[in-house]
Amino acid sequence: MSAVTPPVSRFGFLNGTGITRLRREGAIAPIGAFVIFFVVYVAINPSLLTRFQLQTAANLVVPLALVALGQLIIVLVGGIDISIGAIMSLSNVVFAVQMETMPVPVAILIGLATGLACGLFNGLLVAYGGFPAIAVTLASAFIFGSLSREVLDAPGGGITKEFYLATSGELLPFLPISLVWLAVVAVLLWLLLQRTALGRHIYGVGSNMESVRAAGLNARLTKLIAFGLSGVLVSIGAILLAGSTVTGDPRSGDPYLLSSIAAVALSGAAFTGGRGSIIGTILAACTLGLIGNLLFFAGINSYWQYVISALIIVAVVGIPVVWRRVAFAVKGARS
Amino acid sequence: MSTTAATGHSAGSNPDEVTSASGALGTTAEPVGPTGSSSPGAGPARSSSGLSWLGRVPRAVWPLLAFLVLFGIGGLIRPNLITVDSLIGTATFAIILAIASFGQTVAVIQAGIDLSVPNTIGFAALSFLAWVGPLGPVGAFVAALLSGAVIGALNGLVISKLQLTPIVTTIAMNGLLFGVILLAFNFSELTVVPDFVVAITSAKIEVFGITMAAVLPLGLGLMVVLQLILSFTGWGRSLFVTGSAAEVSRLAGLSVDRIRISGYVVSGLLAAFAGIVIVGYYQQASATMGASYLLSSVAAVVVGGASIFGGRGSVVGTVGGALVLAQVSTLVTVLNLGANIQQLIYGVIILVVISLYGRRRGA
Repeated sequence: MSAVTPPVSRFGFLNGTGITRLRREGAIAPIGAFVIFFVVYVAINPSLLTRFQLQTAANLVVPLALVALGQLIIVLVGGIDISIGAIMSLSNVVFAVQMETMPVPVAILIGLATGLACGLFNGLLVAYGGFPAIAVTLASAFIFGSLSREVLDAPGGGITKEFYLATSGELLPFLPISLVWLAVVAVLLWLLLQRTALGRHIYGVGSNMESVRAAGLNARLTKLIAFGLSGVLVSIGAILLAGSTVTGDPRSGDPYLLSSIAAVALSGAAFTGGRGSIIGTILAACTLGLIGNLLFFAGINSYWQYVISALIIVAVVGIPVVWRRVAFAVKGARS
Repeated sequence: MSTTAATGHSAGSNPDEVTSASGALGTTAEPVGPTGSSSPGAGPARSSSGLSWLGRVPRAVWPLLAFLVLFGIGGLIRPNLITVDSLIGTATFAIILAIASFGQTVAVIQAGIDLSVPNTIGFAALSFLAWVGPLGPVGAFVAALLSGAVIGALNGLVISKLQLTPIVTTIAMNGLLFGVILLAFNFSELTVVPDFVVAITSAKIEVFGITMAAVLPLGLGLMVVLQLILSFTGWGRSLFVTGSAAEVSRLAGLSVDRIRISGYVVSGLLAAFAGIVIVGYYQQASATMGASYLLSSVAAVVVGGASIFGGRGSVVGTVGGALVLAQVSTLVTVLNLGANIQQLIYGVIILVVISLYGRRRGA
C-alpha cells in the first residue's frame, strides 16, 4: 500500500471501504480466527461472560494487546523489536519504584517517559545510524534488561490497591476497566495512523522507503517517531500489567517478546513493512492470550496452549498461501 | 569458488550428503584456514584505497583479536588471570555457547534466523535422556540428533514453501516445542547421563599436558569440520550465495528452497547436538534449559562478524564471538560487578560491533 490512499468517506466502516481496508491490511484472517475461537470458548465455558472471568480474561489480554500494538508499529516501518520485552520490564519496574515515592500521575508519566526513551534510543540508531533494527534491538534487549534489574532486583515496588482498581478493576458491572484503557489507546492510535499525515507516513515508510524519500518526506524522522510511539505503547502495557499484578517485576516483560511477535504475525501484518491493522493485532493478541484459559476450562492440559498457538499461527498465515497455490494450479489445469 | 557454488544445487539437501562431501574434502582440500569465511564480494564495498589491506583481513580474526585484547586487559587488572587455567576456564564456557550458536550461524548465513534454538536444545537434551533407557545410549544419541534435524526440516519447509518469515516460523516452532517438552517429559526420571556423553563433554582429559574438559577439543574439532564444510563444499558456498542474494542464486539455477531447508536441517541438527553436549557437561536437564541461548546465540553470531542480513559469517568467528562474551563474563566476575553489568556490557559490545560493520549495504 502506498502512502497515498484513495479518499475515504467519514463513515468508512459502513460503506465497504472499511472492509476493503481490513482485507488489504490482512485483518480478515485474524478476525475470523478470533470469532471462531470466541464461539468455541463460550460454548465450552459459558461462564466466561460472568463478571469475574471477564475481568480476569481482560487483565490477562490487555498488556499483551498493547505490547503487540507496539511491535506492530515497528513492523509497519519495516523493522522488528527484539528489545520489546526488556522495554516492558524496564517501564514496569521504573513505574513500580516511582509509585513508592511520587504521586501517581507523576509515576505514570515517568513510566511512559521510560518507554519513550527506550524507543527513541532504538529509533535513533535505526533511523539515523542506519543499522538494522534486529541487531540494534538485540543489543538494547541486553542493555534495557540489565537496567531493569538494576532498578529493581526482585519483584516489589509500591503499587497500591487503588491503582489496581483504577487499571484492572471493574468500572461498571461487566465492564473491566482495562478494556476501556485498551479501547482508548486503540482508538487514538487508529486516528493517528489513519487520519493524520504522520500515520500515512508510517505506513509509507514501511512499504516503500525510497518513494517516501523521493516524495520529499522525512523518512528518518518518521521512523524515529514510530519507535518512540512504540515505546510509549509498550510502557502503557507495562503500567497496566503492573496494576493487574500489583507488583513491579524486572522479568515481567520477558514472555512478551515472543508472544508480541506471534500476535503481529497472526494479525496478518507484513514483516516487510507497510501492512498491518490495529483491530487484527488486538484480536490476535486476545486469541493467543486466551488459549491457555480455554484449555483449562475444557479440561485439557494447558501445556497444549504452546502447541495450539503455534499451529494457529502457521494455519492462519499459511492457509491463504496454500489456497492461492491451489487456486492457481486449478486455473492452470482448466486453461 | 564460483564453480563450486554453481554446482551447489546438486550437492547436499540432507545431512548425509553433507558429511560425505566433507569426507571427500578431507582428502583433497588444503587447510587454508578461515580466509574462505568472508562471503563472495564482501570486501570491496567499504575498503578505501589506503586501507584496502584492512578489508582483506578475514572478519573471523577480529573477534579473536578482541578476545586477546580483553584477555590482556584482564591480565593488567589481575596478573594472575594470565594463566593457562584461566584461559581454559573461559574457553570452556565459551565453547559451550559456541556449540549452541553453530546452528544459529548456519541459519544466519543463509539469511534466516533460528529462534527455535532454545527449545530445540531443551527438547534434544530431554528426549536423549528419556530415550537412553529404551534405545541405548547410541540409539538415543542418533534419535535425538534426528529429532533436531526433523525440527529444522519443518522450519525450513514452512519458511520456504509457505513463505512465513524465519523469525515468525522459528518462534512458532519454539513455542510448539516448549509445549511438547512440557507435555512429554516426566522430569523426575531424567537424571542418569550416559557415560559416553560424560566422556566427550565434562570428563577431564589431558592435551599436551594441559588438563581440560573434553568439551573444549570437541567444540574446536566441530568448529574446524563445520568451517571446512562451509568454506570448501558446494553446499557451504551455496548457503552463502543464497544468503546474500536469493534471487540471483535462483536465476543462477540453484534450488533456493532446497538450500534453505538443508540449512535449517543442519541448524536444527547442531542445536540438538548442543543440547546433548550441555546436558552432558552440566549433568542436568530442565524444560527451560535453553532459554538463555535465545539472545546469546544470536549475540555470539553477530559479535563473530556475521551479517544479520545473511551471506556473511563463519563458525570460527562465532567461536571468537563466544570467547569475547565469555571473557567479558570472566572480567565482570573478577571485578565483582555483578551479572547485570555483564548483560549491559554484552549490549554495548553488540552496539560497537554493529557500528563497525553492521550497516545495511548501500545505506
